[in-house]
Amino acid sequence: MADPRIIKEKVFLATIFALTILGILPVFHVLAEVIVKGSRAIARHGLGILTSTSNGILASLVGSAILSILASLLGIPLAIAAGLFVAEFSDTKLAKITRVVSRSLLEVPTVLLGMLVYIVVVVPTGSFSLLAGAIALALVMLPYVMVHVEQAIESVPPIYREAGYSIGMTRAEVLLGVVAGVARRGIATGVLMGFAKAMGETAPLLFTIGAARTTLPCTCNTPLANVLNPGDAVPLMIFQYAQMPQKIYHDMAWAGSLILVAAFLVVFLAVRLLVKEVRT
Amino acid sequence: MTAKPMYRSDKLLYYSLLPFAAIVIAAFIMLFVVLGYVSAPALHRYGIGLFTTTKWAPNEANPSKSVYGLLAPLFGTLVSSVIAVLLALPVTVSVVLVIEEYAPERLRELIGSVIEVMAGLPTIVYGLWGLEVLAPFLREHIYSPLHQLLGFIPLFSCKPITGFNLATAGVLLSIMILPYMVAVARDAYRSIPFTYKEAALAIGATRYEYAKIMMGLAKPGIIAAALLGFGRAAGETVAVALVVGNVPLVSSCLFKPAYTISSLIANQFSMAPLYPYMMSVLFTGGLVLLLIGMAANTVAVIMITRARKRLG
Repeated sequence: MADPRIIKEKVFLATIFALTILGILPVFHVLAEVIVKGSRAIARHGLGILTSTSNGILASLVGSAILSILASLLGIPLAIAAGLFVAEFSDTKLAKITRVVSRSLLEVPTVLLGMLVYIVVVVPTGSFSLLAGAIALALVMLPYVMVHVEQAIESVPPIYREAGYSIGMTRAEVLLGVVAGVARRGIATGVLMGFAKAMGETAPLLFTIGAARTTLPCTCNTPLANVLNPGDAVPLMIFQYAQMPQKIYHDMAWAGSLILVAAFLVVFLAVRLLVKEVRT
Repeated sequence: MTAKPMYRSDKLLYYSLLPFAAIVIAAFIMLFVVLGYVSAPALHRYGIGLFTTTKWAPNEANPSKSVYGLLAPLFGTLVSSVIAVLLALPVTVSVVLVIEEYAPERLRELIGSVIEVMAGLPTIVYGLWGLEVLAPFLREHIYSPLHQLLGFIPLFSCKPITGFNLATAGVLLSIMILPYMVAVARDAYRSIPFTYKEAALAIGATRYEYAKIMMGLAKPGIIAAALLGFGRAAGETVAVALVVGNVPLVSSCLFKPAYTISSLIANQFSMAPLYPYMMSVLFTGGLVLLLIGMAANTVAVIMITRARKRLG
Protein backbone atom coordinates (compact mmCIF):
# COMPACT_ATOMS: atom_id res chain seq x y z
CA MET A 1 0.00 0.00 0.00
CA ALA A 2 1.03 3.59 -0.57
CA ASP A 3 2.79 5.45 2.16
CA PRO A 4 0.26 7.62 4.09
CA ARG A 5 2.77 10.46 3.99
CA ILE A 6 2.74 10.34 0.20
CA ILE A 7 -1.07 10.24 0.11
CA LYS A 8 -1.15 13.23 2.44
CA GLU A 9 1.25 15.06 0.13
CA LYS A 10 -0.92 14.33 -2.93
CA VAL A 11 -4.10 15.48 -1.19
CA PHE A 12 -2.31 18.61 0.01
CA LEU A 13 -1.00 19.52 -3.44
CA ALA A 14 -4.41 18.95 -5.02
CA THR A 15 -6.01 21.16 -2.35
CA ILE A 16 -3.67 24.12 -2.75
CA PHE A 17 -3.88 24.03 -6.55
CA ALA A 18 -7.69 23.83 -6.35
CA LEU A 19 -7.83 26.76 -3.89
CA THR A 20 -5.49 28.81 -6.10
CA ILE A 21 -7.72 28.24 -9.11
CA LEU A 22 -10.79 29.08 -7.01
CA GLY A 23 -9.05 32.25 -5.85
CA ILE A 24 -8.22 33.64 -9.28
CA LEU A 25 -11.30 32.37 -11.10
CA PRO A 26 -13.56 35.30 -10.04
CA VAL A 27 -11.42 37.92 -11.76
CA PHE A 28 -11.74 36.09 -15.08
CA HIS A 29 -15.50 35.99 -14.59
CA VAL A 30 -15.58 39.69 -13.74
CA LEU A 31 -13.59 40.54 -16.89
CA ALA A 32 -15.74 38.28 -19.06
CA GLU A 33 -18.98 39.76 -17.71
CA VAL A 34 -17.72 43.31 -18.21
CA ILE A 35 -16.73 42.58 -21.82
CA VAL A 36 -19.95 40.72 -22.68
CA LYS A 37 -22.43 42.99 -20.88
CA GLY A 38 -20.56 46.18 -21.80
CA SER A 39 -20.37 45.42 -25.50
CA ARG A 40 -23.94 44.14 -25.51
CA ALA A 41 -25.09 47.45 -24.00
CA ILE A 42 -23.19 49.41 -26.65
CA ALA A 43 -24.61 47.17 -29.40
CA ARG A 44 -28.15 47.63 -28.07
CA HIS A 45 -28.10 51.42 -27.76
CA GLY A 46 -25.51 52.30 -30.37
CA LEU A 47 -22.46 54.46 -29.82
CA GLY A 48 -24.77 57.19 -28.55
CA ILE A 49 -24.52 55.54 -25.14
CA LEU A 50 -20.94 56.78 -25.03
CA THR A 51 -21.24 60.06 -26.92
CA SER A 52 -24.44 61.60 -25.59
CA THR A 53 -25.03 63.47 -22.36
CA SER A 54 -28.80 63.00 -22.24
CA ASN A 55 -29.03 59.23 -22.59
CA GLY A 56 -25.36 58.37 -22.58
CA ILE A 57 -22.36 58.61 -20.32
CA LEU A 58 -20.34 61.31 -22.08
CA ALA A 59 -20.34 63.65 -19.08
CA SER A 60 -18.87 60.90 -16.90
CA LEU A 61 -16.19 60.04 -19.45
CA VAL A 62 -15.15 63.68 -19.80
CA GLY A 63 -15.29 64.16 -16.04
CA SER A 64 -13.13 61.11 -15.40
CA ALA A 65 -10.54 62.29 -17.92
CA ILE A 66 -10.37 65.75 -16.32
CA LEU A 67 -10.28 64.30 -12.81
CA SER A 68 -7.50 61.78 -13.52
CA ILE A 69 -5.32 64.39 -15.21
CA LEU A 70 -5.95 67.09 -12.63
CA ALA A 71 -5.40 64.67 -9.73
CA SER A 72 -2.14 63.57 -11.36
CA LEU A 73 -1.01 67.19 -11.81
CA LEU A 74 -1.65 67.83 -8.12
CA GLY A 75 -0.58 64.51 -6.66
CA ILE A 76 2.36 63.29 -8.71
CA PRO A 77 4.79 66.21 -8.25
CA LEU A 78 4.01 66.16 -4.53
CA ALA A 79 4.48 62.39 -4.35
CA ILE A 80 7.76 62.46 -6.28
CA ALA A 81 9.21 65.31 -4.20
CA ALA A 82 8.13 63.71 -0.92
CA GLY A 83 9.36 60.31 -2.11
CA LEU A 84 12.76 61.78 -3.06
CA PHE A 85 12.97 63.41 0.35
CA VAL A 86 12.19 60.15 2.18
CA ALA A 87 14.65 58.12 0.09
CA GLU A 88 17.48 60.67 -0.02
CA PHE A 89 17.42 61.83 3.60
CA SER A 90 16.35 58.47 5.02
CA ASP A 91 18.60 58.93 8.06
CA THR A 92 16.77 62.06 9.23
CA LYS A 93 13.92 61.93 11.71
CA LEU A 94 11.52 63.84 9.48
CA ALA A 95 12.04 61.40 6.60
CA LYS A 96 11.36 58.46 8.92
CA ILE A 97 8.15 60.08 10.12
CA THR A 98 7.10 60.88 6.55
CA ARG A 99 7.68 57.26 5.58
CA VAL A 100 5.52 55.94 8.42
CA VAL A 101 2.81 58.49 7.63
CA SER A 102 2.74 57.62 3.93
CA ARG A 103 2.47 53.89 4.76
CA SER A 104 -0.41 54.72 7.09
CA LEU A 105 -2.12 56.83 4.42
CA LEU A 106 -2.01 53.73 2.24
CA GLU A 107 -4.30 51.96 4.73
CA VAL A 108 -6.72 54.85 5.27
CA PRO A 109 -10.14 53.97 3.78
CA THR A 110 -10.50 56.22 0.74
CA VAL A 111 -14.03 57.27 1.69
CA LEU A 112 -12.49 59.16 4.64
CA LEU A 113 -10.33 61.21 2.28
CA GLY A 114 -13.55 62.21 0.52
CA MET A 115 -15.04 63.28 3.84
CA LEU A 116 -11.90 65.28 4.66
CA VAL A 117 -12.04 67.13 1.35
CA TYR A 118 -15.77 67.75 1.81
CA ILE A 119 -15.08 69.63 5.04
CA VAL A 120 -11.87 71.35 3.93
CA VAL A 121 -12.75 72.26 0.32
CA VAL A 122 -16.44 71.74 -0.52
CA VAL A 123 -17.94 73.42 2.55
CA PRO A 124 -15.72 76.55 2.48
CA THR A 125 -16.11 77.04 -1.31
CA GLY A 126 -19.82 76.37 -1.03
CA SER A 127 -19.96 74.06 -4.02
CA PHE A 128 -19.09 70.60 -5.24
CA SER A 129 -16.39 70.76 -7.88
CA LEU A 130 -14.11 68.68 -10.06
CA LEU A 131 -11.22 70.40 -8.29
CA ALA A 132 -12.41 69.09 -4.92
CA GLY A 133 -12.66 65.60 -6.40
CA ALA A 134 -9.20 65.89 -7.89
CA ILE A 135 -7.75 66.94 -4.51
CA ALA A 136 -9.34 63.87 -2.90
CA LEU A 137 -7.97 61.62 -5.65
CA ALA A 138 -4.54 63.24 -5.35
CA LEU A 139 -4.53 62.25 -1.66
CA VAL A 140 -5.52 58.69 -2.63
CA MET A 141 -2.71 58.30 -5.16
CA LEU A 142 -0.07 60.11 -3.11
CA PRO A 143 1.11 57.18 -0.93
CA TYR A 144 1.07 54.71 -3.86
CA VAL A 145 3.31 56.88 -6.00
CA MET A 146 5.55 57.68 -3.04
CA VAL A 147 6.21 53.98 -2.33
CA HIS A 148 7.23 53.40 -5.95
CA VAL A 149 9.47 56.48 -6.05
CA GLU A 150 11.19 55.51 -2.80
CA GLN A 151 11.80 51.97 -3.97
CA ALA A 152 13.06 53.15 -7.36
CA ILE A 153 15.55 55.57 -5.75
CA GLU A 154 16.70 53.06 -3.16
CA SER A 155 17.32 50.38 -5.78
CA VAL A 156 19.88 52.52 -7.63
CA PRO A 157 23.34 51.01 -6.95
CA PRO A 158 25.58 53.33 -4.84
CA ILE A 159 28.24 53.27 -7.55
CA TYR A 160 26.23 55.85 -9.54
CA ARG A 161 26.22 58.25 -6.60
CA GLU A 162 29.92 57.72 -6.01
CA ALA A 163 30.66 58.46 -9.64
CA GLY A 164 28.66 61.68 -9.39
CA TYR A 165 30.30 62.81 -6.15
CA SER A 166 33.77 61.95 -7.46
CA ILE A 167 33.48 64.49 -10.25
CA GLY A 168 32.41 67.12 -7.74
CA MET A 169 28.64 67.17 -8.22
CA THR A 170 26.53 68.40 -5.32
CA ARG A 171 23.98 66.15 -3.65
CA ALA A 172 21.14 67.84 -5.52
CA GLU A 173 22.89 67.38 -8.86
CA VAL A 174 23.55 63.71 -8.10
CA LEU A 175 20.00 63.05 -6.93
CA LEU A 176 18.18 64.89 -9.69
CA GLY A 177 20.68 64.47 -12.52
CA VAL A 178 22.02 60.96 -11.94
CA VAL A 179 20.00 58.88 -9.46
CA ALA A 180 16.55 60.02 -10.60
CA GLY A 181 17.63 59.40 -14.18
CA VAL A 182 18.70 55.84 -13.43
CA ALA A 183 15.47 55.28 -11.48
CA ARG A 184 13.23 56.90 -14.08
CA ARG A 185 11.47 53.71 -15.14
CA GLY A 186 10.62 52.84 -11.57
CA ILE A 187 9.30 56.36 -11.06
CA ALA A 188 7.30 56.16 -14.29
CA THR A 189 5.78 52.88 -13.08
CA GLY A 190 4.69 54.60 -9.88
CA VAL A 191 3.19 57.50 -11.84
CA LEU A 192 1.17 55.12 -14.02
CA MET A 193 -0.01 53.08 -11.04
CA GLY A 194 -1.11 56.28 -9.32
CA PHE A 195 -2.94 57.40 -12.45
CA ALA A 196 -4.76 54.05 -12.68
CA LYS A 197 -5.70 54.32 -9.00
CA ALA A 198 -7.12 57.83 -9.47
CA MET A 199 -9.07 56.73 -12.53
CA GLY A 200 -10.85 53.87 -10.78
CA GLU A 201 -11.66 55.29 -7.36
CA THR A 202 -15.27 55.96 -6.41
CA ALA A 203 -15.55 56.63 -2.69
CA PRO A 204 -13.50 59.87 -2.62
CA LEU A 205 -15.86 61.34 -5.23
CA LEU A 206 -19.14 60.62 -3.43
CA PHE A 207 -19.14 63.90 -1.51
CA THR A 208 -16.85 66.03 -3.63
CA ILE A 209 -17.78 66.31 -7.32
CA GLY A 210 -21.55 66.55 -7.14
CA ALA A 211 -22.46 64.04 -9.88
CA ALA A 212 -23.48 66.67 -12.46
CA ARG A 213 -24.05 64.44 -15.47
CA THR A 214 -26.65 66.18 -17.61
CA THR A 215 -24.26 68.88 -18.78
CA LEU A 216 -20.63 68.76 -19.75
CA PRO A 217 -18.19 70.57 -17.46
CA CYS A 218 -16.78 72.40 -20.50
CA THR A 219 -19.79 74.54 -21.43
CA CYS A 220 -18.34 77.58 -19.73
CA ASN A 221 -15.68 79.82 -21.24
CA THR A 222 -12.49 79.52 -19.24
CA PRO A 223 -10.87 76.23 -18.38
CA LEU A 224 -10.32 77.39 -14.81
CA ALA A 225 -14.06 77.79 -14.27
CA ASN A 226 -14.61 74.25 -15.54
CA VAL A 227 -12.84 72.55 -12.70
CA LEU A 228 -14.59 74.75 -10.17
CA ASN A 229 -17.90 73.43 -11.43
CA PRO A 230 -19.50 70.16 -10.35
CA GLY A 231 -18.93 67.22 -12.65
CA ASP A 232 -19.23 63.48 -12.92
CA ALA A 233 -16.93 60.46 -13.12
CA VAL A 234 -17.38 56.99 -14.57
CA PRO A 235 -17.03 55.08 -11.26
CA LEU A 236 -19.53 57.37 -9.53
CA MET A 237 -21.97 57.02 -12.42
CA ILE A 238 -21.69 53.21 -12.21
CA PHE A 239 -22.32 53.27 -8.47
CA GLN A 240 -25.44 55.40 -8.78
CA TYR A 241 -26.86 53.84 -11.94
CA ALA A 242 -26.38 50.31 -10.58
CA GLN A 243 -28.92 51.17 -7.87
CA MET A 244 -31.58 52.31 -10.35
CA PRO A 245 -34.34 49.86 -11.24
CA GLN A 246 -34.50 50.66 -15.00
CA LYS A 247 -32.48 48.51 -17.36
CA ILE A 248 -31.13 51.42 -19.40
CA TYR A 249 -29.18 52.65 -16.39
CA HIS A 250 -27.68 49.22 -15.84
CA ASP A 251 -26.66 49.16 -19.48
CA MET A 252 -24.93 52.50 -19.07
CA ALA A 253 -23.20 51.20 -15.93
CA TRP A 254 -21.88 48.16 -17.83
CA ALA A 255 -20.80 50.28 -20.81
CA GLY A 256 -18.95 52.57 -18.37
CA SER A 257 -17.33 49.52 -16.73
CA LEU A 258 -16.10 48.33 -20.11
CA ILE A 259 -14.40 51.66 -20.80
CA LEU A 260 -12.98 51.81 -17.27
CA VAL A 261 -11.58 48.27 -17.41
CA ALA A 262 -10.17 48.83 -20.89
CA ALA A 263 -8.42 52.01 -19.71
CA PHE A 264 -7.07 50.19 -16.66
CA LEU A 265 -5.73 47.30 -18.76
CA VAL A 266 -3.96 49.74 -21.10
CA VAL A 267 -2.17 51.36 -18.14
CA PHE A 268 -1.44 47.91 -16.69
CA LEU A 269 0.17 46.76 -19.95
CA ALA A 270 2.21 49.97 -20.13
CA VAL A 271 3.54 49.25 -16.64
CA ARG A 272 4.35 45.68 -17.69
CA LEU A 273 6.34 46.89 -20.68
CA LEU A 274 8.25 49.40 -18.55
CA VAL A 275 9.14 46.76 -15.97
CA LYS A 276 10.13 44.23 -18.60
CA GLU A 277 12.50 46.64 -20.35
CA VAL A 278 14.26 47.25 -17.06
CA ARG A 279 14.92 43.55 -16.59
CA THR A 280 16.54 43.00 -19.98
CA MET B 1 17.43 67.33 12.99
CA THR B 2 19.90 65.25 11.03
CA ALA B 3 22.20 62.40 11.89
CA LYS B 4 25.09 63.67 9.81
CA PRO B 5 26.21 67.27 9.25
CA MET B 6 25.37 68.55 5.77
CA TYR B 7 27.06 70.90 3.36
CA ARG B 8 25.31 74.11 2.44
CA SER B 9 24.27 72.89 -0.99
CA ASP B 10 22.95 69.67 0.57
CA LYS B 11 20.97 71.69 3.05
CA LEU B 12 19.44 73.58 0.18
CA LEU B 13 18.19 70.30 -1.28
CA TYR B 14 16.94 69.19 2.13
CA TYR B 15 15.00 72.39 2.71
CA SER B 16 13.57 72.54 -0.80
CA LEU B 17 12.17 69.00 -0.58
CA LEU B 18 11.08 69.36 3.05
CA PRO B 19 7.86 71.34 2.38
CA PHE B 20 6.50 68.46 0.27
CA ALA B 21 7.10 65.95 3.05
CA ALA B 22 5.48 68.45 5.41
CA ILE B 23 2.37 68.57 3.21
CA VAL B 24 2.06 64.77 3.43
CA ILE B 25 2.32 64.84 7.22
CA ALA B 26 -0.05 67.82 7.44
CA ALA B 27 -2.69 66.03 5.34
CA PHE B 28 -2.51 63.02 7.64
CA ILE B 29 -2.82 65.10 10.80
CA MET B 30 -5.64 67.11 9.25
CA LEU B 31 -7.56 63.90 8.61
CA PHE B 32 -7.53 63.05 12.32
CA VAL B 33 -8.28 66.61 13.39
CA VAL B 34 -11.20 67.06 10.99
CA LEU B 35 -12.77 63.68 11.77
CA GLY B 36 -12.36 64.31 15.50
CA TYR B 37 -13.65 67.88 15.31
CA VAL B 38 -16.79 67.06 13.32
CA SER B 39 -17.47 63.94 15.43
CA ALA B 40 -17.30 65.83 18.71
CA PRO B 41 -20.92 67.13 18.84
CA ALA B 42 -22.37 63.63 18.28
CA LEU B 43 -20.05 62.03 20.81
CA HIS B 44 -20.96 64.75 23.26
CA ARG B 45 -24.68 64.41 22.73
CA TYR B 46 -25.12 60.64 22.42
CA GLY B 47 -21.99 59.41 24.20
CA ILE B 48 -21.42 55.67 24.32
CA GLY B 49 -25.10 55.17 23.41
CA LEU B 50 -24.04 55.79 19.81
CA PHE B 51 -22.39 52.35 19.79
CA THR B 52 -25.07 50.46 21.72
CA THR B 53 -28.12 51.51 19.69
CA THR B 54 -29.17 49.81 16.46
CA LYS B 55 -31.97 52.22 15.59
CA TRP B 56 -31.32 54.69 12.76
CA ALA B 57 -34.26 57.07 12.70
CA PRO B 58 -33.75 60.61 11.49
CA ASN B 59 -36.82 62.63 12.45
CA GLU B 60 -37.74 65.25 9.90
CA ALA B 61 -40.56 66.94 11.81
CA ASN B 62 -38.75 67.09 15.10
CA PRO B 63 -34.96 66.83 14.64
CA SER B 64 -34.33 66.67 18.38
CA LYS B 65 -36.16 63.32 18.44
CA SER B 66 -33.82 61.83 15.85
CA VAL B 67 -32.14 58.63 16.98
CA TYR B 68 -28.83 57.54 15.51
CA GLY B 69 -27.17 54.26 16.42
CA LEU B 70 -23.97 52.90 14.94
CA LEU B 71 -24.17 49.43 16.49
CA ALA B 72 -25.65 47.72 13.43
CA PRO B 73 -23.15 49.20 10.93
CA LEU B 74 -20.26 48.49 13.31
CA PHE B 75 -21.46 44.90 13.67
CA GLY B 76 -21.84 44.59 9.89
CA THR B 77 -18.36 45.98 9.23
CA LEU B 78 -16.73 43.60 11.71
CA VAL B 79 -18.68 40.48 10.63
CA SER B 80 -18.33 41.02 6.87
CA SER B 81 -14.59 41.73 7.26
CA VAL B 82 -14.08 38.65 9.45
CA ILE B 83 -15.91 36.47 6.89
CA ALA B 84 -13.75 37.99 4.14
CA VAL B 85 -10.50 37.25 5.98
CA LEU B 86 -11.56 33.71 6.95
CA LEU B 87 -12.43 32.91 3.33
CA ALA B 88 -9.37 34.58 1.85
CA LEU B 89 -6.79 33.19 4.29
CA PRO B 90 -6.61 29.55 3.07
CA VAL B 91 -6.61 30.78 -0.52
CA THR B 92 -3.81 33.25 0.28
CA VAL B 93 -1.64 30.51 1.78
CA SER B 94 -2.32 28.24 -1.21
CA VAL B 95 -1.53 30.93 -3.77
CA VAL B 96 1.73 31.84 -2.02
CA LEU B 97 2.85 28.20 -1.90
CA VAL B 98 1.87 27.60 -5.52
CA ILE B 99 3.65 30.72 -6.82
CA GLU B 100 6.73 30.36 -4.63
CA GLU B 101 7.23 26.61 -4.70
CA TYR B 102 5.16 24.30 -6.82
CA ALA B 103 4.10 25.97 -10.05
CA PRO B 104 6.33 25.85 -13.15
CA GLU B 105 7.97 29.15 -14.16
CA ARG B 106 5.43 30.17 -16.85
CA LEU B 107 2.41 29.42 -14.69
CA ARG B 108 4.02 31.29 -11.80
CA GLU B 109 4.30 34.47 -13.88
CA LEU B 110 0.76 34.08 -15.18
CA ILE B 111 -0.73 33.72 -11.70
CA GLY B 112 1.37 36.67 -10.52
CA SER B 113 0.01 38.88 -13.32
CA VAL B 114 -3.57 37.80 -12.67
CA ILE B 115 -3.17 38.68 -8.99
CA GLU B 116 -1.86 42.12 -9.99
CA VAL B 117 -4.85 42.70 -12.27
CA MET B 118 -7.10 41.67 -9.38
CA ALA B 119 -5.44 44.24 -7.12
CA GLY B 120 -5.74 47.07 -9.60
CA LEU B 121 -9.21 46.52 -11.00
CA PRO B 122 -11.48 49.42 -9.95
CA THR B 123 -13.49 48.38 -6.88
CA ILE B 124 -16.73 49.67 -8.42
CA VAL B 125 -16.40 47.00 -11.13
CA TYR B 126 -16.33 44.32 -8.43
CA GLY B 127 -19.38 46.03 -6.94
CA LEU B 128 -21.37 45.96 -10.16
CA TRP B 129 -20.41 42.33 -10.72
CA GLY B 130 -21.36 41.51 -7.13
CA LEU B 131 -24.73 43.17 -7.55
CA GLU B 132 -25.74 41.66 -10.87
CA VAL B 133 -23.87 38.34 -10.94
CA LEU B 134 -22.50 37.19 -7.59
CA ALA B 135 -25.47 37.96 -5.32
CA PRO B 136 -28.11 36.13 -7.43
CA PHE B 137 -25.70 33.21 -7.97
CA LEU B 138 -24.92 32.79 -4.28
CA ARG B 139 -28.58 33.03 -3.28
CA GLU B 140 -29.63 30.38 -5.76
CA HIS B 141 -26.77 27.89 -5.50
CA ILE B 142 -25.22 28.39 -2.06
CA TYR B 143 -27.54 30.12 0.41
CA SER B 144 -30.79 28.28 -0.43
CA PRO B 145 -29.22 24.78 -0.18
CA LEU B 146 -27.35 25.81 2.99
CA HIS B 147 -30.58 27.07 4.53
CA GLN B 148 -32.47 23.90 3.63
CA LEU B 149 -29.77 21.46 4.77
CA LEU B 150 -28.25 23.31 7.73
CA GLY B 151 -31.09 25.66 8.71
CA PHE B 152 -30.79 24.55 12.35
CA ILE B 153 -27.47 26.42 12.61
CA PRO B 154 -28.25 30.03 13.58
CA LEU B 155 -25.91 31.40 10.89
CA PHE B 156 -28.08 29.86 8.16
CA SER B 157 -31.43 29.93 9.97
CA CYS B 158 -33.19 32.64 7.97
CA LYS B 159 -34.51 32.30 4.45
CA PRO B 160 -32.29 34.09 1.91
CA ILE B 161 -34.97 36.34 0.42
CA THR B 162 -32.47 38.30 -1.66
CA GLY B 163 -28.79 37.79 -2.30
CA PHE B 164 -27.98 41.15 -0.69
CA ASN B 165 -26.72 40.37 2.78
CA LEU B 166 -23.70 40.06 5.07
CA ALA B 167 -22.64 36.75 3.53
CA THR B 168 -22.44 38.23 0.02
CA ALA B 169 -20.54 41.26 1.33
CA GLY B 170 -18.08 38.88 2.99
CA VAL B 171 -17.59 36.77 -0.14
CA LEU B 172 -17.13 39.81 -2.41
CA LEU B 173 -14.68 41.38 0.05
CA SER B 174 -12.71 38.13 0.25
CA ILE B 175 -12.17 38.29 -3.51
CA MET B 176 -11.17 41.96 -3.33
CA ILE B 177 -8.67 41.64 -0.44
CA LEU B 178 -7.04 38.44 -1.73
CA PRO B 179 -4.37 40.20 -3.85
CA TYR B 180 -3.30 42.44 -0.93
CA MET B 181 -3.07 39.50 1.42
CA VAL B 182 -1.08 37.51 -1.14
CA ALA B 183 1.37 40.41 -1.59
CA VAL B 184 2.03 40.71 2.16
CA ALA B 185 2.21 36.95 2.78
CA ARG B 186 4.47 36.47 -0.25
CA ASP B 187 6.95 39.04 1.07
CA ALA B 188 7.00 37.22 4.40
CA TYR B 189 7.50 33.87 2.69
CA ARG B 190 10.40 35.19 0.63
CA SER B 191 12.14 36.52 3.72
CA ILE B 192 12.58 32.99 5.10
CA PRO B 193 16.33 32.31 4.80
CA PHE B 194 17.31 29.64 2.32
CA THR B 195 19.09 27.59 4.97
CA TYR B 196 15.74 26.79 6.62
CA LYS B 197 14.41 25.51 3.31
CA GLU B 198 17.50 23.40 2.74
CA ALA B 199 17.26 22.02 6.27
CA ALA B 200 13.63 21.02 5.78
CA LEU B 201 14.42 19.31 2.48
CA ALA B 202 17.54 17.64 3.90
CA ILE B 203 15.57 15.78 6.56
CA GLY B 204 13.43 14.30 3.80
CA ALA B 205 10.23 16.25 4.39
CA THR B 206 7.41 15.59 1.93
CA ARG B 207 6.06 18.65 0.18
CA TYR B 208 3.23 18.74 2.71
CA GLU B 209 5.58 18.60 5.67
CA TYR B 210 7.87 21.15 4.03
CA ALA B 211 4.97 23.57 3.50
CA LYS B 212 3.89 23.08 7.10
CA ILE B 213 7.37 24.00 8.39
CA MET B 214 7.61 27.01 6.06
CA MET B 215 4.16 28.27 7.03
CA GLY B 216 5.19 28.00 10.66
CA LEU B 217 8.15 30.26 9.89
CA ALA B 218 6.06 32.70 7.83
CA LYS B 219 3.31 32.81 10.45
CA PRO B 220 3.84 36.41 11.64
CA GLY B 221 3.72 37.54 8.00
CA ILE B 222 0.53 35.56 7.41
CA ILE B 223 -1.05 37.15 10.47
CA ALA B 224 0.05 40.57 9.19
CA ALA B 225 -1.58 39.74 5.84
CA ALA B 226 -4.82 38.83 7.62
CA LEU B 227 -4.77 42.08 9.61
CA LEU B 228 -4.09 44.27 6.56
CA GLY B 229 -6.79 42.37 4.67
CA PHE B 230 -9.18 43.03 7.54
CA GLY B 231 -8.38 46.74 7.45
CA ARG B 232 -8.96 46.88 3.69
CA ALA B 233 -12.24 45.01 3.98
CA ALA B 234 -13.48 47.28 6.78
CA GLY B 235 -12.77 50.40 4.73
CA GLU B 236 -14.16 49.22 1.39
CA THR B 237 -17.16 51.37 0.53
CA VAL B 238 -18.94 51.30 -2.80
CA ALA B 239 -18.70 47.60 -3.64
CA VAL B 240 -20.09 46.69 -0.22
CA ALA B 241 -22.82 49.32 -0.40
CA LEU B 242 -24.10 47.62 -3.56
CA VAL B 243 -24.38 44.11 -2.07
CA VAL B 244 -24.86 44.35 1.70
CA GLY B 245 -28.58 45.21 1.61
CA ASN B 246 -28.30 48.48 3.56
CA VAL B 247 -30.68 47.69 6.44
CA PRO B 248 -29.52 48.44 10.00
CA LEU B 249 -29.97 44.97 11.53
CA VAL B 250 -27.98 42.98 14.05
CA SER B 251 -28.74 39.32 13.49
CA SER B 252 -27.00 36.00 14.00
CA CYS B 253 -28.16 34.98 10.53
CA LEU B 254 -25.79 35.79 7.67
CA PHE B 255 -28.60 35.84 5.09
CA LYS B 256 -30.25 38.95 6.54
CA PRO B 257 -29.53 42.30 4.90
CA ALA B 258 -27.17 44.46 6.94
CA TYR B 259 -25.20 47.71 6.93
CA THR B 260 -21.54 48.57 7.24
CA ILE B 261 -20.09 51.86 8.51
CA SER B 262 -18.71 52.76 5.11
CA SER B 263 -21.90 51.89 3.24
CA LEU B 264 -23.89 53.89 5.81
CA ILE B 265 -21.66 56.89 5.09
CA ALA B 266 -22.00 56.37 1.32
CA ASN B 267 -25.81 56.19 1.50
CA GLN B 268 -26.65 58.77 4.15
CA PHE B 269 -24.06 61.47 3.57
CA SER B 270 -26.03 63.37 0.94
CA MET B 271 -29.01 63.78 3.32
CA ALA B 272 -26.90 64.49 6.37
CA PRO B 273 -26.72 68.30 6.01
CA LEU B 274 -30.53 68.37 6.33
CA TYR B 275 -30.57 66.83 9.80
CA PRO B 276 -28.76 68.21 12.83
CA TYR B 277 -26.18 65.79 14.27
CA MET B 278 -26.44 63.28 11.40
CA MET B 279 -23.27 64.56 9.74
CA SER B 280 -21.50 64.43 13.07
CA VAL B 281 -22.66 60.84 13.66
CA LEU B 282 -21.42 59.80 10.21
CA PHE B 283 -18.04 61.38 10.96
CA THR B 284 -17.94 59.44 14.22
CA GLY B 285 -18.41 56.32 12.11
CA GLY B 286 -15.55 57.51 9.90
CA LEU B 287 -13.36 58.07 12.94
CA VAL B 288 -14.08 54.50 14.10
CA LEU B 289 -13.11 53.20 10.63
CA LEU B 290 -9.89 55.20 10.76
CA LEU B 291 -9.02 53.81 14.18
CA ILE B 292 -9.78 50.23 13.06
CA GLY B 293 -7.57 50.71 9.99
CA MET B 294 -4.71 52.29 11.94
CA ALA B 295 -4.84 49.61 14.66
CA ALA B 296 -4.74 46.79 12.08
CA ASN B 297 -1.90 48.53 10.25
CA THR B 298 0.17 49.16 13.39
CA VAL B 299 -0.12 45.58 14.67
CA ALA B 300 0.69 44.25 11.18
CA VAL B 301 3.83 46.41 10.94
CA ILE B 302 4.95 45.23 14.40
CA MET B 303 4.40 41.59 13.39
CA ILE B 304 6.43 42.02 10.19
CA THR B 305 9.31 43.81 11.94
CA ARG B 306 9.41 41.18 14.67
CA ALA B 307 9.43 38.36 12.12
CA ARG B 308 12.33 39.98 10.22
CA LYS B 309 14.35 40.24 13.43
CA ARG B 310 13.64 36.65 14.43
CA LEU B 311 14.64 35.17 11.11
CA GLY B 312 17.66 37.46 10.96
